[in-house]
Amino acid sequence: MSRELRFYGLTTLGLVLFPFLFHAIGGYPGLATQILLVGIGSIGFNLLLGYAGLLSYGQAAFYGLGSYVALLTVSRFFAHAPNFWLAVLLAVAYVTLNALIVGFLVVRLYGIYFALLTLAFAQMLFFLVFQWRDLTGGDDGLQGITAPPLPLGFTSIDLTGTFPPLDLGPLGNLSDVHYWYAFAALVVLLVLAFVRTLNRSQFGEVLAAIRENEERSTFVGFDPKRYKLAAFVIAGALTGLSGALRGLYETSTAIDSLSVDTSGNFVIYTVVGGVKTLFGPLLGTGLIMYLQNVISAKTDAWRLIEGLVFVAVIVFLPGGVLGSFKRKRARKLLAGALRAAPPAHASADSPRRAEEAS
Amino acid sequence: MLRLVNFAHGAFYTVGAYVGLVVAERFGLLAGIVAAPLAVALLAVLLDRLLLRRFYDKDPTAQILVTFGIAIVIEETLRLIFTGTTLTYPVPAWVSAPLNLGFIQYPTYRVVFALAIVLLIVAVWAFIERTDYGLIVRAGVRDRTMVQLLGGNVQLASTVIFALGSGIAGLVGAAASPIYSVDPGKGFEFLVPSFVVVVIGGLGSFWGAVLGGLIVGELQSVTTLVLPPASGVIIYLAMALVLLVRPQGLLGESEVIRG
Repeated sequence: MSRELRFYGLTTLGLVLFPFLFHAIGGYPGLATQILLVGIGSIGFNLLLGYAGLLSYGQAAFYGLGSYVALLTVSRFFAHAPNFWLAVLLAVAYVTLNALIVGFLVVRLYGIYFALLTLAFAQMLFFLVFQWRDLTGGDDGLQGITAPPLPLGFTSIDLTGTFPPLDLGPLGNLSDVHYWYAFAALVVLLVLAFVRTLNRSQFGEVLAAIRENEERSTFVGFDPKRYKLAAFVIAGALTGLSGALRGLYETSTAIDSLSVDTSGNFVIYTVVGGVKTLFGPLLGTGLIMYLQNVISAKTDAWRLIEGLVFVAVIVFLPGGVLGSFKRKRARKLLAGALRAAPPAHASADSPRRAEEAS
Repeated sequence: MLRLVNFAHGAFYTVGAYVGLVVAERFGLLAGIVAAPLAVALLAVLLDRLLLRRFYDKDPTAQILVTFGIAIVIEETLRLIFTGTTLTYPVPAWVSAPLNLGFIQYPTYRVVFALAIVLLIVAVWAFIERTDYGLIVRAGVRDRTMVQLLGGNVQLASTVIFALGSGIAGLVGAAASPIYSVDPGKGFEFLVPSFVVVVIGGLGSFWGAVLGGLIVGELQSVTTLVLPPASGVIIYLAMALVLLVRPQGLLGESEVIRG
């Protein structure tokens, strides 16, 4: 129980402190909100890349689709009575349906073929949205669509409002933070808790077993395709949620949200932060988006720097920033265990246990 | 052929285009077309030795990731050097006049280009299928260990093939630039369709790639004529269909599916 308490307590603390600490290192509160919203998609993507070992190169399809459906719900489908929850719900439901159909087809493939087929579906959607100007605005995208206030039963909150002013010195002012941030933080907390529970359940264990050795998991009696499909759909739904919320936050979306670059970004965020870790994708999203904003203000070379960071992480820190940190800790634990335990046992057993601990 | 998935292939094309452009401005188009593949092959060998070597025996996902990173780095370096503006090559005078083919007027450069491509295809095919060295390469793809036991240098062979493939991308980049324009993002535009081509034809199959190229080209031009809005989607639709019905590609061998 104390572990649960520690997880929720520390995560909440981190999310509360984040915009203020972020301010101290030159980030602005709006960026903190964007990081959390995009981070939801990265956390979902990690379920595929990290836990199921599937490299999807088409997450943009779900992200972009989520943003388009959410904004169109507000501006077109239910323009007479726009509702925040309805927009999000419709977007996520529609994306989930799409992920189910695409997923059904792609989980039969492996490695590069999986990556390419997801890419192909994303590209198809990109061109469809691009061509369907009447509905989607083509290359103009959708713009100036104000998100309705967030209904909470008894009342409703305008998320663009800010907290009351309170000077916090180098940490900025409490009024810099919009309600949007609090909402995003709450969603992130729920998503983290959901993915954490999922990974600790039997589902997560089977997924890991499939990743490590698909054949063996079949012999034990699991149907890998079903598990992979489930992971694909959940990842798609979370990415759709991310896109829907980002679209509502920005009050606009563009064809870029469906592009190969967006798919690539999810890959970069997740790999840099750390695959197979719960917080890694969120950390990576924050790190890269922060670098992008801070560095791009100073030099045009930020994408070059981003590329170099990405390659460096793959070569030198294959577990990502967070994964490598954890491995170092595991190695220390292992060294301690080796010293304590008789050597014969240690050599056979401990390395694997330490690996699992990481 | 190498079972190395290269996301940086498009970037090699762009590097070739720029090297060709710079050399061609000084010494003429032909010099550019000679220099580009050499420079790109050199770059490829360097990358292979320094970086990609470590990823040969890792899973394809890691290979995709590292080459994707390399592609970004190359593209952005080019953008810094040449800025993001689109550049065009002047087509040299001796091939710029339209050529009368009897039934149709066609730019001479395109005709020369097409003929050169056919020659190149035949040359590569002859190298892989008809020379002793090509035999080592093909055997290395099938059974690395066995070729090594027999004294073949698979490491060297894979570097040679990688350099060859990259050099060709560079050559095509330089040679195609008078037809298409050059900008740093060209690589990705070129990369995605080239994946489609290879997947449709069959990964690791030489004639598959040729067939895939023809199919993609035909599909795209026919759809542009018949139903223009669908021209962007059609090749991906074709690729999705092929992957689902025959994942190894039209002319691919079934054992490679698990990559």
